[in-house]
Amino acid sequence: MNQNQQVNEGSRGRQDDDAALSEFLASLMDYTPTIPDELVEHYIAKSGFQCPDVRLIRLVAVATQKFISEVASDALQHCKARQSAVIKDKRDKQQKDKRLVLTMEDLSKALHEKFHSPAMIGAQSPHAMVDFGENDAIGDRNERLDVKGW
Amino acid sequence: MSDGGRLSEGNCGDHDNFGRSIAQIAVAQVCESLGFDGSKQSALDSFSEILIRYVSDLGKVSKFYANLSGRTESNLFDIVEGLVDLGFLKGKVRGRNPRVSEVVKEIGWYVRSVEEVPFKQSVPSFPVPVKRSTVPSFENIQETPPGKHILSWLPAFPDPHTYVHTPVWNVRKTDPRTDKVEQARQRRKAERSLLSLQQRLSNWVPHGPQQNRLSSSRLLQNGEIDENMSENGIGSKEVNSENQVLVLEAFAPAIDAAKNGFFDSVDGERNDVFLNKRPAIHFKSNFGRKLLKEPLELSLQKKGVGEITPWYGRDDNNDKKRRAEQILKESMENHEELAQL
Repeated sequence: MNQNQQVNEGSRGRQDDDAALSEFLASLMDYTPTIPDELVEHYIAKSGFQCPDVRLIRLVAVATQKFISEVASDALQHCKARQSAVIKDKRDKQQKDKRLVLTMEDLSKALHEKFHSPAMIGAQSPHAMVDFGENDAIGDRNERLDVKGW
Repeated sequence: MSDGGRLSEGNCGDHDNFGRSIAQIAVAQVCESLGFDGSKQSALDSFSEILIRYVSDLGKVSKFYANLSGRTESNLFDIVEGLVDLGFLKGKVRGRNPRVSEVVKEIGWYVRSVEEVPFKQSVPSFPVPVKRSTVPSFENIQETPPGKHILSWLPAFPDPHTYVHTPVWNVRKTDPRTDKVEQARQRRKAERSLLSLQQRLSNWVPHGPQQNRLSSSRLLQNGEIDENMSENGIGSKEVNSENQVLVLEAFAPAIDAAKNGFFDSVDGERNDVFLNKRPAIHFKSNFGRKLLKEPLELSLQKKGVGEITPWYGRDDNNDKKRRAEQILKESMENHEELAQL
């Protein structure tokens, strides 16, 4: 009886989950990500991802956009910090540069943080390592990016 | 794997320019929405490269998880696992089974928090497939393939004339002859029309001898009329005081010649005919000579002998020739006489 109840609860839970998922996917379709669907479709098709479902493509697009915005916001933080640091030195010019410009420095710092944080390393699964290249984890790849002088 | 490697190479990115530029625009839009006023080009390039690589990696990992589960098509769970692998749940609790819900929560939160910034331009679906013209199959041509071992869906054989040297029959054997006949006919037509034109002009000439001369001189000066037929000169001169009868008489030999069509053989006869007419011409006009200084080309004679001699000179040449012949004969006779002697 207990087991039956548990199973019933489990199945109901799963049904709820399914309902939640389908709801989530429906809500995804309402949101138009900045990254166009065609672009995402092209690149994931190139990498072997086969899926006829448009919602999953949207999911990928949204996830990527989230990632990009996180990196960009980190870079923005760095940029602002640098500006405030500069202002500290020279008091003559109150606001040296109002314009916030994305530079390679800020970008590489933000990426470093994202992939070198201790919380990140644990999340690597061996599968990811196998797929992503000769050596390595994502962090190594990013190091290669930096080395090339971007 | 090789895709990722290729993407990292800056050298062979030319074939992907369209996708890259779209990625650049998307990245720039995200940055702008976050508060950036501008960006360095190098930073933008690398950022778009990161975007492309992230999408490709996500696709790869989800494909991997789908294959691991024995499927070829990825589904939501594969993507979620891929996201987790790529560090989506950084800092959050990991290792729990319902990762899906976590991811869903994250994304749901993000979607709600960020305002919608759609891509600025409409993007066509790319890459556009290149249509290549294929060799038609036997079915397409609706030919039965020679031999049962050749299936109908295979490409058709080329036409035999492309690889077998078949004799080429020259169909046009009689054409040159007919062409020549046609040409002669057309020439005769032209000459007849010229004759009729002359007749009409002669009819039109006003009365009075001097006026006639003037008009005839004008006619002579008109190169068009003189061109093809020397008979024009004769005809116009004849018109001086006389009538169309003389014109017709003058043209009679020409008309006969035209009708016969044997220009070469008739040459001698025509010469005789013209010689017969000559004394009249000489008597009639002196001014004609001046005007006739240009050699008149006879179209009728052209096809034949092709020798062009001026009218007024011919007489002398022939006389000279005759005299020369006579002298020769005489000398021959003398020789013989001398020899005999």
